[in-house]
Amino acid sequence: MAVYRRNYRPYSGAQTAEWSRFLVLFRYSRRNLFRSKIQTGFFVLCFFYPIACLVMIYLAHSASFLAKLGVPSQLISIDNMFFFRYMSVQGVLAFLMTAFAGPGLISPDLANGALPLYFCRPFSRAEYVLGKSSVLGILLSQITWIPGLVLFTIQGSFAGASWTWNNLWIAGSLVVASLIWIAILSLLAMALSAWVKWRIVAGALLLAVMFFGAGFAQAINAVMHTDSGHFVDVAYLMAAVWIGLFKVDAENSITAFPALIALLVYCSFCLWLLMRKVRAYEVIR
Amino acid sequence: MTRLWWTQVKAVIRLELKKTFFAKRGLWIYAVAALPVLLFIAYAVAMSHEQHRTTEIARDGERRLAYQDLLAIKPGMTKQEVAAILGKPPLVFHWTERRPTGPNSTEEILHEDLHYSDGQNDLYLGLANGKVQSINIHEGYNLGEDAIMFAGVFQFFFLRLAIFFGCLGIFMNLFRGEVLDRSLHFYFLAPIRREVLMAGKFLAGLLATCTIFVTSELLQTIAFLWHFNPQTRDLYLYHNHGLEHAAVYVGVTFLACIGYGAFFLVAGMLFRNPIIPAAAVLIWEGINPFLPALLKQFSVIYYLKSLCPVEIPVSPGTPGLFALFISNADPVSPPLAIVGILVVALLALFVSSVQVRRMEINYTSE
Repeated sequence: MAVYRRNYRPYSGAQTAEWSRFLVLFRYSRRNLFRSKIQTGFFVLCFFYPIACLVMIYLAHSASFLAKLGVPSQLISIDNMFFFRYMSVQGVLAFLMTAFAGPGLISPDLANGALPLYFCRPFSRAEYVLGKSSVLGILLSQITWIPGLVLFTIQGSFAGASWTWNNLWIAGSLVVASLIWIAILSLLAMALSAWVKWRIVAGALLLAVMFFGAGFAQAINAVMHTDSGHFVDVAYLMAAVWIGLFKVDAENSITAFPALIALLVYCSFCLWLLMRKVRAYEVIR
Repeated sequence: MTRLWWTQVKAVIRLELKKTFFAKRGLWIYAVAALPVLLFIAYAVAMSHEQHRTTEIARDGERRLAYQDLLAIKPGMTKQEVAAILGKPPLVFHWTERRPTGPNSTEEILHEDLHYSDGQNDLYLGLANGKVQSINIHEGYNLGEDAIMFAGVFQFFFLRLAIFFGCLGIFMNLFRGEVLDRSLHFYFLAPIRREVLMAGKFLAGLLATCTIFVTSELLQTIAFLWHFNPQTRDLYLYHNHGLEHAAVYVGVTFLACIGYGAFFLVAGMLFRNPIIPAAAVLIWEGINPFLPALLKQFSVIYYLKSLCPVEIPVSPGTPGLFALFISNADPVSPPLAIVGILVVALLALFVSSVQVRRMEINYTSE
């Protein structure tokens, strides 16, 4: 066909169902994520501790094997404290994973002015944010609550139905604790990367928010003779929520409920920051 | 030749200063530097409010009290004996406690809380059945405690986090920022030695960080001294080494900028992603108290801690691991500490100069 005869024809093929359009972003973003060897290596590293936990569960139910090793069987107890420790370790790894993977999700789109290309399609801002956050959400789920539930199921199969029934709340705590942590990490990483627009700096800022928050909280507490400073420390707030969820006997100056409210406020603030930046066009003055 | 290099260095500094001070990317550094100042302003406001309240309580009292009067109260004294020394209390709270003495019997105990003030210090007395049980003196101005609090914020927050992340933001941006903006080739095409360019950029970064953080440190000192009355301020500044401490803090801030600046300049050339060196240096500096003596010397915080004028005491109940964090087990002498930081910085700058000579620009890989 001659070039002058070519003109615009709208796409007439089959469209992706409206509810699953955000998964298109997930598919492409995830592919980019695992192009980095360091990131893939780190993702594999995140499964080392769950495997160690699996071995511990096996050993806890192999009294004869432990006796051969000369280790008292009471040394390994699989209880709420065990799963709390699991969550703490995987939580740190999830944070590091977010520092590597999170900032690269949105900042390139904003820095290169690619958002109009998304929003000229039948695709809303909410779907864009959902699609991008689902990358982190699914990735972090794979290293937090999914292996946690596998461990719980294995422990349940060893310990019997009565243990499983009595400790079913631990499974719930694992899921809820992980989901809150995933939500705060994803929103924080995306909000920072959207505002800084520089992937590398956004990663460093995420690191700074955690360490700086903890340091500033201690400074507030020392100067003002209070415990309220912990409200600026996201990691401390999360620990307070986990302590409450896993019913661990640990001293904490903030209880789970106010900590949860504070985390929800942070999440809302990050979401607001994100929605302010994710627009089809930006007026630069 | 040296004269030409110096002229070129000055030209680079002039160009870089504008970028460093007014870059949108670096605005957060001002916020980081302002946070401790805001904290001390909040402290000063809270203390002034507290002081005002104490003065009002002293005014409401039956007689004018001196600090010695507050110290004269001893446990076991009766309410009348207390009133004889201090007069009628301006503030009294009382309640009755029913304490079980047996299976079916209770005892009624009358509790009273008395609050006296001499205008600066507060005395809280707890009385049970008319006898003094607890005595708590809250000193309005406790210079020793306040100096330790200031030292704690300086050592654990300002040095380790604020200056650390501030230097990370400024010095890593010197070369990486240019690469990301695709403007480094303009410098490399100019007839200027790369080492001279590096020196110019380092000095510009140093000037910016020193201006921001030394100003922050000075403002912190002013905010910290704000709530003291003139006599206490003079006592602190001229008799309790306050002025000397303030000068040392400014010096330590300057040295911290040099040390961390040199570290992050070289890190900016060696790494594309600052998370890795930042996390590594942060952990290295964090675990410094646990390192063997030889390895301790390869850090900035070891020398900076040795220079800090106020030793933070470890409270008796502190766990061993935390106590190690707080204490400075084997400090080096101040001249050695200054030389140590300068040597560490020069070492980092030497590596930077080698690296900058080999540097090749490939904007497409960014």
